Amino acid sequence: MSGVYKNRSLISAVIFVLLAVIGFTMIYPFIFMISVSLERTANLAMPFPPRLIPESSSWFNYQLVFENKSLLLAYWNSIVIALFSVALSVGSALFGGYAFSRGSFRAKRALFFIVLATMMIPFETRLIPMFTMFNDLGLVNTKYPLIFPSIINALGIVLAKQYFDQLPEGLRESAKMDGAGEFKTFFYIFVPLTGPITATLAILSFQDSWNSFIWPLVIINDQHLKTVPLFLSSFSSENGGRLAGVTMALAAMSILPLLMVFLFFQKYIIRSVALSGLKGE
Amino acid sequence: MSLVNISKPRSQPIGRWRLAPRRESHAVWYLFLLPTLLGILLFTLYPLAESLRLSFTRGVSEQFVGVQNYSDVLASGTFWYAVYNTLYITVFQLFIAIPLGFLIACLINSLRRTSNFFKVLFYIPNATSMVAAATVFLAILHPDGPLNYVMELLGLQKVVWLSQPVSAKWGAVILSVWHWLGFVIIINLANLQAIPVEYYEASSIDGASPIQQWWWITVPNMIGSLTILFVLGWIGGLQRFADAYMLGGLQGSPARSLHTVVGFIFERGFGGSEYGIASAAAYILFVFILIFTYINTKLLRMKI
Repeated sequence: MSGVYKNRSLISAVIFVLLAVIGFTMIYPFIFMISVSLERTANLAMPFPPRLIPESSSWFNYQLVFENKSLLLAYWNSIVIALFSVALSVGSALFGGYAFSRGSFRAKRALFFIVLATMMIPFETRLIPMFTMFNDLGLVNTKYPLIFPSIINALGIVLAKQYFDQLPEGLRESAKMDGAGEFKTFFYIFVPLTGPITATLAILSFQDSWNSFIWPLVIINDQHLKTVPLFLSSFSSENGGRLAGVTMALAAMSILPLLMVFLFFQKYIIRSVALSGLKGE
Repeated sequence: MSLVNISKPRSQPIGRWRLAPRRESHAVWYLFLLPTLLGILLFTLYPLAESLRLSFTRGVSEQFVGVQNYSDVLASGTFWYAVYNTLYITVFQLFIAIPLGFLIACLINSLRRTSNFFKVLFYIPNATSMVAAATVFLAILHPDGPLNYVMELLGLQKVVWLSQPVSAKWGAVILSVWHWLGFVIIINLANLQAIPVEYYEASSIDGASPIQQWWWITVPNMIGSLTILFVLGWIGGLQRFADAYMLGGLQGSPARSLHTVVGFIFERGFGGSEYGIASAAAYILFVFILIFTYINTKLLRMKI
């Protein structure tokens, strides 16, 4: 019996080492990024062979990044856009999910089908008319086009509907007995119970907004309105392979704050991703 | 059990007369749906129709040209090369990331204490934006970068990754596998944990070894989620843009080897203001994706 046990822990140890090696490879690009960003001479030539610890480490590249206020401005733009987008998309998903879960109205099934169908329409097919529409409204180079479309959240509606479906129906019946209308019932009885699903929806839509690239690339030209991905992309394409040190410092500063958020909320984020992948297809 | 009992009265209301009149409350539900329906109208249905209209027109005057744009796109070598690049990168991305992610998920799942640590570790690349990831990979793929250093250590020739069509595409494959692997692992782990423990218990009573259990229980039970990942990855892969654009720029350099279908739409639409051509290409992409979505729903219904 103890032999089997020993064997088992040996296998576990081997698996652990194997995963640690693969895991190091996965994390290595980040280590490399930090190492190059701390290397002052990396702006002239890529340090070769690559080092884990920079030869002449200095904060020089980070000083350059922060002296130029562009990155902070890009952060501000991304945060403002993400917050409003999250509010819109979570709000509309909770409203819609509640209606499809508890409502009885004509064309309910047809409307739900339409909402599901929007998930299948690739954004790229709508890209050009979306641009011309906001262009005609004079809203190109503003934050609005990056916020308003978040109001469609089909996956969010599906997830919210499933969440509301598993809450007891008695809640609504008793509220209605007391004479509360549908909105009152929703806000006072159901919304206070939506904590977990709201967190999931907020995380998913925050990631969508923060990482979106092609749409901001189309809408924003103004240097002062660039989001973090746009700023990083234009900086790296303007400088090509040169200025590796500064580019890596910029990349690090664009990743690290979000990485902190990820590590802090990792449990919820991973659960949300699993949920979206399992039910979002 | 109790939930089922409570929700039962909904279909057979006891004392309907006691509740608020049903007919009046119909309209209020449309108010709940107003934000979504308004959004679908403005940002889905209208653009979809307008895109279809544009695809039959050309020039600033939007002159009607029939199916000319479609035949031009389908006759364009640049377009088919973009299709080829998109499929090339996507096929290798999926065929590397899905099996690899599945194996890693199985290994993580077999650990008890440290599984959460590895789950987080492997997911970190997916939690970073593709633009930031690609920026780092521009340096990884640099002629003097770490990838070439490893190649040298292995006794292989240095490769100037982003200068040759095939190696540039492999640069994009490496980036996309690295970025997507964490997602594959998370989905696989969620499904691995959903396999009933009884299956394993019963089989170990029958004397099955862990390898036998893996092959006869784990793999068959995971085919469904692997299929879903394949279809999800395929649909996402057809829409790839950020990775190829970051590595190859607007024209997908070198020699358009990183030009993707969405890159084609983007370049013709916003580089050249050829809305007609771009819309036609966008509709062709849409049809591709609809076909795969259809296959997806078929596969799901079959519950493979």
